Amino acid sequence: MRGFMVFIKKELLEQVRTYRLWILFAVFLVIGMMSPLMAKLMPEIFSSLDMEGLVIQVPEPTVYDAYAQFFKNLTQMGILGVLLVFGGTLSNELARGTLVNILAKGLPRRTVLLSKYAAAVLVWTAGYALAIATDYGYTVYLFPNGGVANLFFSLFCLWLFVCFVISLILLSSTIAPGSFGGLILSAVALVVMLMLGMVPKAGRYNPVTLASVNTALLEGAKSVSDLTITVSITVVLILSCLIASILIFEKKKL
Amino acid sequence: MDDIMQYLPFFIPLVIIEVALMLTALVHVLRHNRYRFGNRILWIIIVVVFGYVGPILYFTVGRGEE
Repeated sequence: MRGFMVFIKKELLEQVRTYRLWILFAVFLVIGMMSPLMAKLMPEIFSSLDMEGLVIQVPEPTVYDAYAQFFKNLTQMGILGVLLVFGGTLSNELARGTLVNILAKGLPRRTVLLSKYAAAVLVWTAGYALAIATDYGYTVYLFPNGGVANLFFSLFCLWLFVCFVISLILLSSTIAPGSFGGLILSAVALVVMLMLGMVPKAGRYNPVTLASVNTALLEGAKSVSDLTITVSITVVLILSCLIASILIFEKKKL
Repeated sequence: MDDIMQYLPFFIPLVIIEVALMLTALVHVLRHNRYRFGNRILWIIIVVVFGYVGPILYFTVGRGEE
């Protein structure tokens, strides 16, 4: 347990020193500020475009549009940012061989993996909270009227999905070699899952649904009970990714 | 158009973040000369031209070891 806490501290310090923490926070801060603004200004942007007499009627934006924009940016820029920032966390250390010393001194390999996961989830949660706080402030100010359904659960779904992405990165990093191996393999895995997400009936069993269902939840078109299976499957998948990566990592030659 | 001007103050923090990212990355590029790939000129161009994306790419995949 002591090793675990020490290693988490080391991870967080590394995130700060390599500027990765600040990069991630900047991305989330920008998403939080930009999304409601974009939603609010969409009609003006369209009307200021001169399209040779073509008039596009954009309905007056609502709170719902602001949150839709927020989730769209989070699932694109946000997840890309998370992939880039955490993609190298294990791969880099394996490629550089910096873990050999610590492991030789007796720190169990599973402790290394689990504390890396915990540190990444911690940083992601902090960044996400930052994005939510800024977005909420801007949205309340720009759109004083109205509300949306299931906001908290919708945010939770995306949080859980990214936690799954991080566990996927760790698993990929233990499998694929090289300092970009983990990043590339997990990106490929995500793309495959996105494509599987297009199969209509299988959506309930695919974690990707957690990152695509958000606006439907806000509209009230989906309810919490529709997603119980997806949430449970994602939790099981996170645990299996972690267990599998520990098993592979224990056997891996460094 | 007046409507857009009215929201101008909201863009100030966004611009500050963008410039801060760019400057931090630019200073880092100029003070270190090891990159995982590419060379100094390439990274200067990427960091300066591509607003938010350039510095993020530099710090996540571009910068070399100390």
